Amino acid sequence: MSIRDLALQTGQVVSVLALSPLLQGFILRYEERVQRARGPSLLQPYRDLWKLFHKELVVPEGASMIHFCAPVVAFTAMLIVPLLIPVLTNYPLPLSDMGDILGGGLILTLGSFFITLAGLDSGSAYGGIGSSRSVMITILAEPTLILVLVGIALLAKAMLPFVVNHLLVHEPAVYWSPAHVFLVCAFFILLLVETDRLPIHSSTHIEVYMIEEARILDYSGPLLGLLKWAGMMKQLILYTIFCNVLVLPWALSIHGTALGALGAATALLGKFALVACLVIVVETAQSRLRFYRYQEPLAASFLLAALAVIANQIR
Amino acid sequence: MTLPQFTPLAASLFSLLAIGSLLLAFVMLGSRWLRDYMYAFGLQSWLIALLSAAMGHYAQVPELYVIALLTALFRGLLLPYLILRILRRLGVDRELRLKIQPATTLVMGAAAVVLALAVSYRIAGAMGNPSSVVVLALTVMLSMKLIGFLMLAVRHEAISQILGLLILENGIFLGSQVLVPGMPLLIELVILFDLLVAVACFGVLARYLVEHAGTTSSLELRRLVG
Repeated sequence: MSIRDLALQTGQVVSVLALSPLLQGFILRYEERVQRARGPSLLQPYRDLWKLFHKELVVPEGASMIHFCAPVVAFTAMLIVPLLIPVLTNYPLPLSDMGDILGGGLILTLGSFFITLAGLDSGSAYGGIGSSRSVMITILAEPTLILVLVGIALLAKAMLPFVVNHLLVHEPAVYWSPAHVFLVCAFFILLLVETDRLPIHSSTHIEVYMIEEARILDYSGPLLGLLKWAGMMKQLILYTIFCNVLVLPWALSIHGTALGALGAATALLGKFALVACLVIVVETAQSRLRFYRYQEPLAASFLLAALAVIANQIR
Repeated sequence: MTLPQFTPLAASLFSLLAIGSLLLAFVMLGSRWLRDYMYAFGLQSWLIALLSAAMGHYAQVPELYVIALLTALFRGLLLPYLILRILRRLGVDRELRLKIQPATTLVMGAAAVVLALAVSYRIAGAMGNPSSVVVLALTVMLSMKLIGFLMLAVRHEAISQILGLLILENGIFLGSQVLVPGMPLLIELVILFDLLVAVACFGVLARYLVEHAGTTSSLELRRLVG
């Protein structure tokens, strides 16, 4: 492993760490702007994290080891996934062959699983509600996710994200094929569901329907900061997979020079801004679904993924 | 029967248009609002008109331009306008009593597409292994027919039933555009006017329903009246 590969690999993780609050800030700010309010500053999530890391830690009575483990596990999981996916370079770096797309999905789910455990750990009512709801959504979303991954694997005849990236860049006929278009649509719905966006969740703190927020309601101080940061990183990782693997596979560093990596990071900002604008449009136009209608967007996503697999057979 | 051959770009364009119209059929299947069905149907007709025009361009059949124009005008504008007018008069805007939830219907529709794929592979085998566009057109045609039947079976509003019928018809039309591009203009004209008559009849029928049964749902029609 050369120094440059090491630097690039570290750069992937650091860019995910550093950019994730910015993405969150962008979405929050411009969503407010679209709704004709002023919106918080772009840097507000960074300030929130700073504030949380300087607060004292309050631990609920009856909290066990899990309470302390969960944020660390969730955060570490989010640090591992950027090693596996193309964030800056379009070729695999030395540690990228630790896992394929399914492996990345497994690690993402592991983080989420530990947060669910933490919600149940202290025995408070809200944590229990949040955990059970998020598990229900996972049950609905997971088959679709697997089917999307199967579709991607069939499209490229490989489970590695880098292979998919190369295929889409080099063969426009595959890029514009119905199978790929369907996969993009199916993944976009999953992206909305998994990153806590409407029509499923609401990230507002004081909501009856809260899901993500309810799971971590017992936390405070630095541990809460870690959890929030892990959530933002998960969002950024999913956006990266969506952009760099499926929708906009261009503008990645090919040779791995410093300039190329910098350019790739800048291009990443532009890609995220595009996807974030789309998400903002959806969030503004959509109202939240009732709890018992959550399966509808996910059924649509499942249908799209199934159609993608079928369209791929005909291609 | 000779099947047309296409360049890769034309083939991918046709696939995209065909798949797009299949997707719109699913929009109709998954929505509860009658107005959404209408818009999806209009858009689907425009996509099929585009497909006709593209086919006319690539297969060198100038007649198809006329057919594309007629499709866009009749199916894309006139029929949706007429049905919207009926909707406005009747004052219904959504399916009230659904026997099967939209999410379940969507999954059933996906199963229908798989069935259509299996059947069209068999047909394609019998036709002597044609290009993938032909298989796709067959699949889309058959699955839109099945979705149309599904809508006729699970929906009860008079308007959704006629829309189920119209999807069925759109599916056959789309298939014919790809499979036999040189279909005579006269037949197309006859079909278009048939559709117009069908919609007009349904309009009369729906008003009759409202007057005599006080509802537009076919669920209420349990008694035969002489």
